[in-house]
Amino acid sequence: MLANDSFQLASDALSESHGRVSELARPFLRFLPVSGASVSTFGSLLGSETMSATDALAGRVDELQFDLGEGPCWDALASKRPVLESDLGTRTDVSWPAFLQEIRKEPIGAIFAFPLLFGPLEIGAVDLYSATPVSLSPQQQEQTQALTAIISRILLRHALNEADTPGETTTFSRRSIHQATGMVLAQLDTTAEDAHLIIRARAYAENRPMLAVAEDVIARKIRFSPLAEPGEDTQ
Amino acid sequence: MNDTIRIERLIDAFATLADTLVAGYDVIDLLQTLVENCHDLLDVDSAGILLANAEGRLEVVASTSEANTLVEIMQLDANAGPCMECFQTRAVVSLPDIDVDSSRWPDFSTTALAQGIHSVYAIPLRLRETTLGTLNLMRNERGELNTADIRAAQALADVATIGILQERTIRDASTLQDQLQRALSSRIIIEQAKGVVAETADVPIEAAFGLIRQYARSHQTSLSLVARRLVGRELRLGSGDGDRRAAG
Repeated sequence: MLANDSFQLASDALSESHGRVSELARPFLRFLPVSGASVSTFGSLLGSETMSATDALAGRVDELQFDLGEGPCWDALASKRPVLESDLGTRTDVSWPAFLQEIRKEPIGAIFAFPLLFGPLEIGAVDLYSATPVSLSPQQQEQTQALTAIISRILLRHALNEADTPGETTTFSRRSIHQATGMVLAQLDTTAEDAHLIIRARAYAENRPMLAVAEDVIARKIRFSPLAEPGEDTQ
Repeated sequence: MNDTIRIERLIDAFATLADTLVAGYDVIDLLQTLVENCHDLLDVDSAGILLANAEGRLEVVASTSEANTLVEIMQLDANAGPCMECFQTRAVVSLPDIDVDSSRWPDFSTTALAQGIHSVYAIPLRLRETTLGTLNLMRNERGELNTADIRAAQALADVATIGILQERTIRDASTLQDQLQRALSSRIIIEQAKGVVAETADVPIEAAFGLIRQYARSHQTSLSLVARRLVGRELRLGSGDGDRRAAG
């Protein structure tokens, strides 16, 4: 099937991007009937920033939503579900009236936003637009979500590396971090690698050493659950 | 225990270790058995084995208690204590009364004394020119370890050294550093597995190790393998799958 082949290509391109965040938006154009795509970080953990956009209009879609503080990408992240607007011209009762008014000045027929999440962490969103009205099939939505999972991990790792988070200082502290990693991987039913990344992100978000977060996990003061907001489940 | 029984148990321990080396084994299991033998057969209250990592720093790979306090003491010892001196000088270091020498290694001494440890004996794991790490013996009493125990401890340390070196086959291109790194990596997975079990069985971290060890023993498999399966979510341990007591 051609559709699957292009998805595979897109997925491979993403996996091979090796964290080149400026390239993250492009793979969506390979298998979706959209004109442009953008990938941005925002939410409770990372600063609002467009990380990758395939064209100026895709960048504009992001920028408008950041400026107005409303739009499909905000809704997607808040609800942790995709927002699918296949025909913008017919829409009236949206939760983002200011954005709708502005975006109608642009040659855009459809807009889609997919949340970027990593376990319990908010990373940002992918915005996709099409010049003409168009729908995404259930398979295309599923494939988009599969790619967003990969993108979330890349973005989180990128942000943490940029921030050069404080953490593992001594051999003994590493031991606690390994133990906490085990607890978190069981809480989220994920891999050791991802659990370690989540502890690191929590430390980054709270501006604390990784060891301090690890000790709180071991003491059961911090607990991660897949659906909870970061921070909401503490103490 | 009287001397005859003790000698018999020592012989049993060496026979078991020899069997293990012949039959194929997991390094972590072997080292864990060794520290437990030290605890059971010698006049010591706690024991641990530390191996040098790629940066030449010692890390705890096996200890008689998984309580963080003991591990921390040994790690302090490895950074600045008799254990570090033993590793650097490649000679046995005996500290019969920590109080007397406490200014030399203040962090280690303070933490050890706070836990009631009063004397330390460190033996290098050495083969010809290479030092792999140390065997650390700690006692709650002051004074030198008796001569018979020193000889037995030295022999147990030699078994540990052979066990670590022997795991690589003659034709295996892996270096000694690969060998040590493998043991240290297994230890990381065991720490992660302790976390997994602490979560799934809802027990303290210290008790989790006991459950893992119990499971490995009753299923006649290695600690490392059980740990890997726990971390890979292929195996789940509840509190009913072993006893709750921490190892040691």
